[in-house]
Amino acid sequence: MLRAAAIAERAGVPSVSIVTTPFMQQAGVVSKGVGLPSLPIAEYPGVPMTDGSDAVAKKVEALLPQLVAGLAGARDAARPAVAEPGPRDVVHRGTLDEIQEHFHRNLWSDGLPVIPPTLARVERFLAQTRRAPDEVIGRLLPENRAATVWSIAVNGVMAGCRPEYMPVLVAIVEAIAEPVFRVEDAGSTPGWEPLVIVSGPIASRLDLNHGQGVMRVGRQANTTLGRFLRLYLRNVAGLRIPPGAGDKGSIAGSFNVALAEDEGAAAELGWPTFGVDQGFTGADSVVTVQSVVSISAPIYSAGTHALDHVRILAEVFGGACAYWSSIGMKYARWEPLLVLGPSIARVIAEDGWSKDALRRYLHEHVSITARQAETYALQVGATSYTLEAHVKAGVLPATYAASSDPGRPVPVFVQPEKIGILIAGDPGRNQSKGYVNNHIQGGRVSKKVDGSP
Amino acid sequence: MTTPEPVYDVVWPLAPSAAPAGSLAARSADLSGKTVGELWDYLFKGEEMFPLIRRALEARYPGIRFVEFETFGSIHGRDEKELAATLPGLLRQHGCDAVISAVGA
Repeated sequence: MLRAAAIAERAGVPSVSIVTTPFMQQAGVVSKGVGLPSLPIAEYPGVPMTDGSDAVAKKVEALLPQLVAGLAGARDAARPAVAEPGPRDVVHRGTLDEIQEHFHRNLWSDGLPVIPPTLARVERFLAQTRRAPDEVIGRLLPENRAATVWSIAVNGVMAGCRPEYMPVLVAIVEAIAEPVFRVEDAGSTPGWEPLVIVSGPIASRLDLNHGQGVMRVGRQANTTLGRFLRLYLRNVAGLRIPPGAGDKGSIAGSFNVALAEDEGAAAELGWPTFGVDQGFTGADSVVTVQSVVSISAPIYSAGTHALDHVRILAEVFGGACAYWSSIGMKYARWEPLLVLGPSIARVIAEDGWSKDALRRYLHEHVSITARQAETYALQVGATSYTLEAHVKAGVLPATYAASSDPGRPVPVFVQPEKIGILIAGDPGRNQSKGYVNNHIQGGRVSKKVDGSP
Repeated sequence: MTTPEPVYDVVWPLAPSAAPAGSLAARSADLSGKTVGELWDYLFKGEEMFPLIRRALEARYPGIRFVEFETFGSIHGRDEKELAATLPGLLRQHGCDAVISAVGA
């Protein structure tokens, strides 16, 4: 919304943007990021989604003077020159405790202690990549900073990564810098968190856990790769919760540890690995990043036939996705991820099912009523939302408007091919878990790791 | 005697700003007779706010005209490059002298 205003300003058309009070700080971050820190704003006090019509009318009346001032009188404020440190500049000297305090005060930490990023430590990380330290991988909104290889090394040190993780760290940042990932929306109110998935030979070389407790903090590579990404989003994209700004996750969640697949199990079953599903070879080391906005209940399933399991998977995973799928339907981009326990995958595969067959089953057997989808989208903030309109606009296939009955079932999984499936977790238990993504925000992006064969 | 604690010289964990330089467009002091475009993300009750704004500004500024939000479609979730490529042309096409962009929440 502010970015549209900035585009207008650069085209010579004055703008004013209506922003609600709770978003004023975030608006400040975005305005600076687009290079127009004085972008005029008219403040709507409070939360429109809980205001009745009378309150909306009163508040609009109250914001009119700001609106007029923005359109007719706004001028660029003088911008004091702010010199920022260079990459090799020492910004602080102190003991371990003093460094922690300095980083906390400046909002450079995630609240956990950080490893002090000394020049020597940063250099050890840089030695693990052929990339030049000043190479810019991309620019990360909303703060709009250049994602340099140097900054990746610094945050990798702070997160407690080992130097040999550096090629993976670079691939993670390459992934989030892709426009389709929409890092600028990583501070949106659903509070989604990126999930890093490491595929191929590098996963075992770096000792990533893919077995029991795979998504628990506790294994260095899984934990620190996940922590690195959260730190990087804070420090380079500018996504900070209060007392910072930029991250408006309403409740949100903590970072995900990195996920790896039990590729040996996939090979035994003759199933392609997750990395191969993303278009790479099994010999490639690959990093995938996608959003996760919520996680299903543990999905226990029992039985000796595929159908015994896929029925439960469809119910529990589908149930976790159901309401949030309405937003996925709005954009027809929706990439949930199913982590299958090895024992479950074995029963399904040995019964002759491929991963695509499982995807088709989920697509055909998981539904929500049109009324549920449309009603929930309106709660989120949409003003008018009908599946019929999205079908007419060519966003959704005709099946979503097969009748006008609000009780008609519509598929939760818009595109079956977008359902990610990988094998991980406890081989000694019959449990799977589903990860719900945030529609077009945090779209799944995969990058080959530098130096992989 | 206690061993002195190690001291660390640390570097900055942020990265260089890539924000482009820019300045606000020139403003006209009077909105009378001007054309105002409505950019909306189709969220957060903008459909209630814009008609109220139209009525209030029409009462105050003779000849003010609005290009309503339907003309531009939703600005939410749009690809930034695509928006940057198409929006200036649309604003010119409709003769917009100013825009109101809403709703940030």
